[in-house]
Amino acid sequence: MTSTLIGKTIVVTGATSGIGLATAEALVRAGAGVIGVGRSAARCREAELRVRKLSQTGHVTYCTADLTQQVEVRRLAEAIRRLVAGAEQPRLDGLVNNAGTFTYWLALTPEGFETQWALNHLAPFLLTQELLPLLQAAPQARIVTVSSASHYHTDLKWDDIQLRRNYNGLAAYNQTKLANVLFTAELNRRLGPHASVRAFAADPGLVQTDIGLKGTPALVQRFWTLRRAGGIPAAEAARGILFLLAEAAIQESQQVYWKHGRPQPPSRQATDVAAAQRLWALSAQMCGCQA
Amino acid sequence: MTSYVMISGATGGLGKAFAVECAARGYALYLTDLRPAPLALLAAALGRTYGVPVRWQACDLTESAQRAALFETIAAERVSFWGLVNVAGLDHEGLFLEQTRARIRTILRLNIEGSLELTHALLGLRDRATTFRIVNVASLAAFFPMPYKATYAASKRFLLDFSLALAAELAADDVTVTALCPAGLPTTPDCVDAIAAQGWLGQITTQNIGAVAAGTLEAALRGRPVYIPGALNRLLQTVGGLIPRSLIARLVNARWRAARQRPAAPAPQPTLAFRPQQA
Repeated sequence: MTSTLIGKTIVVTGATSGIGLATAEALVRAGAGVIGVGRSAARCREAELRVRKLSQTGHVTYCTADLTQQVEVRRLAEAIRRLVAGAEQPRLDGLVNNAGTFTYWLALTPEGFETQWALNHLAPFLLTQELLPLLQAAPQARIVTVSSASHYHTDLKWDDIQLRRNYNGLAAYNQTKLANVLFTAELNRRLGPHASVRAFAADPGLVQTDIGLKGTPALVQRFWTLRRAGGIPAAEAARGILFLLAEAAIQESQQVYWKHGRPQPPSRQATDVAAAQRLWALSAQMCGCQA
Repeated sequence: MTSYVMISGATGGLGKAFAVECAARGYALYLTDLRPAPLALLAAALGRTYGVPVRWQACDLTESAQRAALFETIAAERVSFWGLVNVAGLDHEGLFLEQTRARIRTILRLNIEGSLELTHALLGLRDRATTFRIVNVASLAAFFPMPYKATYAASKRFLLDFSLALAAELAADDVTVTALCPAGLPTTPDCVDAIAAQGWLGQITTQNIGAVAAGTLEAALRGRPVYIPGALNRLLQTVGGLIPRSLIARLVNARWRAARQRPAAPAPQPTLAFRPQQA
């Protein structure tokens, strides 16, 4: 008993390529309006044209924001609030925290955070906080954060959570994907079991994207090119995300982690309530919001 | 009274890594760099994330008037210091005769004048209750003459020798001086490309900036005079020391010329290069 996406408005980050673009395309095909987010203005314009062509209603707008920076996340949230307020139906029904990156060498953002930690974890955390009042105003809303099976391979290294002193790109990536699940679980716990807003972590599977090709050494690029050949197209991953945005039957589901429309057990570390609470408090401090 | 550590070039790649590492250790920070906006952004985030006091003041350290103004401001704020990390430095790569005299001057003014005056000024504002720690960011290039980076490498040699001499002068006065001599660091997209262009050698000599900052602070707190991050880089320095310096200059020159003549390759970067933090 899937409920319809027609007339709903969904924010999708990282919507100029890969899973995010495929999700935006699938959403407009299903009749939803999309607010896409990308880092490059040129790529945003390109994606906006491409997605709008598929749309019956033409409700497709792209916003440019570098989500590695909290000032930009806050500016984006303000832009989204203005967009929604000015729309025919001033409501926001969903947020897809999809934007993510892999960085081989340790790089710090202008605010001093490790880039993957900032983009893959802190940005979803902060953008969700910022848009929550808007999502709570909708009859029902969903927050989908794109995690990964990478989260199975790690726990959180609390004494150096951004791995600054002992950096390994993949280990840092895995941690952010675990953080995505912990964040989702804690968000649901805080919202309560009967809330109108429900959060899910999506495991997209191995998807044919360019994530391993952006700014990585040749060897990593070769490895990723080989590995992704066995993956699924982004459109298939998008179907799982649309399910989590639309399916009425899962509104009060206790399942946090989903792959291709089916609940999966996340790692033991990802179900640690104390870790989720500790991560929430730390993230709130890092983002300068109320814990 | 709160005692601060000063970091110059604080919003660049390595400077930021030092700032974050110091903040994570709970140190009160005083940051400086060229532009105010990135300083304000970094200072606010570090203050709230690590709960440490963070002050900042923008300054073009190549300008003696701006340096004087910075020192006046600090003195007026009645801030005292227990440490200084001289990160700000730059290079304009290329043949000496391809450089303008203004560019050559800027390298010397920032890498040498700026660092020395900041050191002089802060020693005058030191917190007498504790050991004063100085870190000068030199380079592995400090050990070798480097064609195509002739002025830069010589300026880093200056900092290395200056650090060693100053350490001896001030040892009895509870001051330690540590010269950091790293190989190429992946601080900007250009640097990352340059490391990639060096292939496996670039890959294995390159250190993450977070580990470099943490290791350097450990070395400084132990009073080590020179710190070269990475076992392989220490080996390179040792082996390089056995080769006549004029021969090294000719070898580096040949390698660079060849790299420059390769078409369509990214900007050539020798392995023993440290890229600037402050443009």
